[in-house]
Amino acid sequence: MPVRIPTAWLLLAPALLLLAGLFLFPIGWFLHASISELGTWSEILTEAEDVLLSGAISRSLVTTGWIGVVVTLLVLVIGYPMSYALSRARGWVFTAILLCIVLPYFTSTIVRTYAWMVLLGRNGLINQILLGLGLVGEPVNLLYNRTGVIIGMTYVLLPYMVLTLFAAMKAVDPRLMQAAEGMGASPAQVFRKVFMPLTLHGVVAGVLITFILAIGFFVTPALMGGPSDVMIAMLIEREVEITQNWPSAALMTIVLLVVTLALYAVYSRFAEPGEAVR
Amino acid sequence: MTDLIRLNRRLLLGTALAAPFVARPALAAGEVIVRTPGGTYDDVMRKYVYEPFTRETGITVRPVAATSAKLLAMFRAGNVELDLIDTGAGQLLTLDRMGALAPIAYDKWRWTKPEDISPELKSANRVSNFVYCTVLGYSKEAFPNGAPDSWAQFWDAGKFPGPRMLGDMASGSAHLEFALLADGVPKDKLYPLDVERALRVMDRIRPQIRRFWDTGALSAQMLSDKEVVAGSIWNGRLQVLIDRGAPLAYTWNEHMIQVQAMGIFKDARNVAGAQLLADYMLQAEVQAKYARDLIYGPTNTKSFPLMTEEERARAPGGPRSTQTGFYQNNEWWEDNRDRVNRQWSRWVQK
Repeated sequence: MPVRIPTAWLLLAPALLLLAGLFLFPIGWFLHASISELGTWSEILTEAEDVLLSGAISRSLVTTGWIGVVVTLLVLVIGYPMSYALSRARGWVFTAILLCIVLPYFTSTIVRTYAWMVLLGRNGLINQILLGLGLVGEPVNLLYNRTGVIIGMTYVLLPYMVLTLFAAMKAVDPRLMQAAEGMGASPAQVFRKVFMPLTLHGVVAGVLITFILAIGFFVTPALMGGPSDVMIAMLIEREVEITQNWPSAALMTIVLLVVTLALYAVYSRFAEPGEAVR
Repeated sequence: MTDLIRLNRRLLLGTALAAPFVARPALAAGEVIVRTPGGTYDDVMRKYVYEPFTRETGITVRPVAATSAKLLAMFRAGNVELDLIDTGAGQLLTLDRMGALAPIAYDKWRWTKPEDISPELKSANRVSNFVYCTVLGYSKEAFPNGAPDSWAQFWDAGKFPGPRMLGDMASGSAHLEFALLADGVPKDKLYPLDVERALRVMDRIRPQIRRFWDTGALSAQMLSDKEVVAGSIWNGRLQVLIDRGAPLAYTWNEHMIQVQAMGIFKDARNVAGAQLLADYMLQAEVQAKYARDLIYGPTNTKSFPLMTEEERARAPGGPRSTQTGFYQNNEWWEDNRDRVNRQWSRWVQK
């Protein structure tokens, strides 16, 4: 049943007020107060040039983007079959898979990240198994490097992809595949010509939401990364807490915000409700 | 009219920023709210300082957590929600330079004699309540035939092989001092730090560095989980592991003494109570007790005679410590933190 527009706004009002009061307003204040501290426009531009071209932020943006892309691809490769299994499962199997995906999210990211650190350390479970089986001669470095960050982030972000894909896959009418089979298509052809195209908008939405979340990550890279795995959120935190250079933090925040909003604009095109039920 | 709007906006801002503190009820006349590092620290201080202070004065003490950014936000928004700040000397200096702090009422002290506090540990608006230090810690198992005893030896990966750690900028300051010591700069000639030279020396040890740590918890975990065999670490964190039986040790040679200090927000609701609490905390007997449990060094010179030989031996800032170690220069770091942070961020991502 379609909701009339005034009613829709009324229903949205509490959420909008909350967002405006707790997100838009503080961030607006922070950006304005911090940047106006610099003085005139030309002084702001000089500082912006200094911060953005100093090398630290451009390197960090490359690191952030690279980690974001790798993590998103891994999440897609692992998440797609998982979502497929979930969308075909019935009864208790469905419940079991769903619980396995969602339940860990009742604990905080920090706790789950520490759990990975226990598993991945030089003397952690995984290295002990590898050493015990004689597969490696000495412990493999899985922690405090890029590998650690990617493992940790892939794990944390997987459900966002799985649940987004699940929604898209669930909306595919199974009779379409039956019809294709009935007309002699092989299972591979059914997947490639019918199922995959119909879930593609879900893939795009899932990829974008995962990437947007990935580039803003802080806890996992801060705990599991090595010396050079500095993501942009870590640089911002340092400017806020350690040097207390808020203008500089604000300028970096704007960079991250612009990138995120641009991606979000793309995302919202693919996540139109009308698209999902097509 | 515009003033009224501005005032309201300020109030609203302050409330929004200090949301976790808003729960404070209509001011209980006798309560001092103090920012602390939290954790075990609160337990120890409650036992030796806050509760005895309440029994003596009737003023209750409430420890709360607040990052330096939060303290700054409170001050900027004109809504200071706590009275006494107990934090790193560097962060306190930032607030002091912004004009956020009230003078310490040394002349009104009734429990502590101001002259008992070492002169380099007190200033008009700030007074230190303990010192701690960053030492060279190592695994005894990794070096059965003699461990590194200086930063020059720490830098010698040929003679002392194995993964290492050092402090990142995010720990408060990057450990550039140790690099310069390793390169032969004498302890008393470290400041002003030659950052370029320190980073060049860091280049030499970089391949051995598993990680630059940002929190005390991480440094302790890396050493106890054998992720690294040696590194810079806060003495308190390391001593706790050693006392629990971990096969770790440290050298007192070339350690960096760092200062914790207290300041009072000049716009605080209970400035008088905060003055009293600072005065009470700094007494020789009180400091001797909490310094012993926290494995920190007291700032009251009269505290040392009240401690046992063993307690004195492991207290930073004591007679032996000041001979073999050096004080970190907060003023230099405060003046240069921004520049160093940028250089460090570039270097660390190389």
